[in-house]
Amino acid sequence: MVSISHLRRKNRAWLRRHSYSFFSSLGVLLQHKTGTLMTVLVLGIAMFLPLGLYVTLANLDGMNLHQDEWSAVTVFFKTGTRQAEVDRVAGLLEQNAQADKVTIISPAEGLADFRDASGFGGSLDMLEENPLPWVMQVSPPPGSTERVEERVAELTAYLNTIKSIEVTQFDYKWLQRLGRMLELGETLVSFLILLFGIAVVVVVANTIRLDVASHADEIEILALVGAGNAFIRQPFLYTGLWYGLMGGLLAIILLYTALAVLSGPLGLLLETYGTVFVLRGIGGTNMLWLLLCGAGLGWLGAGISVHRYLRLLRVGGQLGRH
Amino acid sequence: MIRFERVSKHYPGGSRALTDVSFHIEPGSMVFLTGHSGAGKSTLLRLVMMLERASRGQVIVNQRNLGTTPDRLAPLVRQGTGMIFQDHKLLNNKTVADNVALPMMIAGLKYADIRKRARAALDKVGLLDKENAWPLTLSGGEQQRVGIARAIVSMPPLLLADEPTGNLDPGLSRELFRLFEEVSEKGVTVLIASHDLDLVRQMRKRVLVLSNGRLADDIPAA
Repeated sequence: MVSISHLRRKNRAWLRRHSYSFFSSLGVLLQHKTGTLMTVLVLGIAMFLPLGLYVTLANLDGMNLHQDEWSAVTVFFKTGTRQAEVDRVAGLLEQNAQADKVTIISPAEGLADFRDASGFGGSLDMLEENPLPWVMQVSPPPGSTERVEERVAELTAYLNTIKSIEVTQFDYKWLQRLGRMLELGETLVSFLILLFGIAVVVVVANTIRLDVASHADEIEILALVGAGNAFIRQPFLYTGLWYGLMGGLLAIILLYTALAVLSGPLGLLLETYGTVFVLRGIGGTNMLWLLLCGAGLGWLGAGISVHRYLRLLRVGGQLGRH
Repeated sequence: MIRFERVSKHYPGGSRALTDVSFHIEPGSMVFLTGHSGAGKSTLLRLVMMLERASRGQVIVNQRNLGTTPDRLAPLVRQGTGMIFQDHKLLNNKTVADNVALPMMIAGLKYADIRKRARAALDKVGLLDKENAWPLTLSGGEQQRVGIARAIVSMPPLLLADEPTGNLDPGLSRELFRLFEEVSEKGVTVLIASHDLDLVRQMRKRVLVLSNGRLADDIPAA
């Protein structure tokens, strides 16, 4: 019977071997600073590229371009509609869940805006009365980008039931294009993540392959004195893990550096649109995910290289031959 | 401890390394294995260490039939066997004490125990004062003694040595064989492959003689 104390002893031995590999591999990496730095730099940049695009898209999405004034439905009242009617409709809309924000533009305000924007000031003065109708801008309630068309459609359907409204207008095309562009960007990000994920695995695999080759004598001695594949593999796997972790960390540092550098010029640009916007990073959970994925990919890359080599050590192989 | 029953080994390509070899080595005995180079000494040791599988016949080491032992247990077989090599096979980037500690690191022992037992093993081969030295700063004889310390540190029941005196002068070689004798007196089975016939004869132990892959002679201990 296998006793519990025997199992516990085995577990403890396993833990000791792992903690030994974990720290000794880090020690070796820190000893070879230049080589480690170069590998980590390549990994960090490889991870930064999809990460940067992902964050750019997340920020674009977070700008709520499709909401507020951008996704507002413009409502034109029939000519001759009184202000009282307009106010009544506004009151109705404010109680309706399909509408979120209502802005009223009186004919006088409309004319003033037009005068400023068009430069037809002089000719407008020749008009005896204001030809513009009452206008209202109504936004659908906030929500995800994908469903905005649906929400706008519901809102428009409701607006069309109101008799005093002549016509409603909404720039679908613009919104559709934005939505499709964001979708395209997301597909691109997925593709880049796959591509650069493979790159991380390959870079680590190649580095570890050279590492294994330069330790061939050592590996042989370990195997001869009874080290199993697991024991031989461990330091290399942990080296791969450290590479991945450091690469991920560097990618995060690069990201926040880029955000810090860009936030100034971007703020100035957005100011001209009258928008105040704070650039967002990736948040703690995503950061953890990135580090985990980096570590996992590094581990995988190292595993591939070591596995190929360990086949030479099987019984009847090259082990111990001079 | 070691039993060969009609063991043959041929390598792919047809070269025959061992043919129909049978013998039995009792636990706790010290046995020499001699023969000209290419007679099959190394192949025999490789079979005992499970570096190689027999083509025919049975190899039984420490009551384990190596023919039916799966590959993944080969490390376990090697952990139960102390092995000493002609070229020492020490890790030159690790201190003497760390080299000796290697089998215990593999077994996953506690650091304190590892330290203690490594020192004890080095003391036994008379190298305690060199524990922090680098292998390459030691003489050939000293390096070989480090190899022996590493082989006996986990107290395996079986010790194998492949031409351990290959590069040593006769005086040092005799000293080394005495060390093996001491180890064997503690109950460890020792099998030494050596072509140094004069020295082997002086030790008055059992000698297995291989010739062209066959067991040509089995001289009992005097």
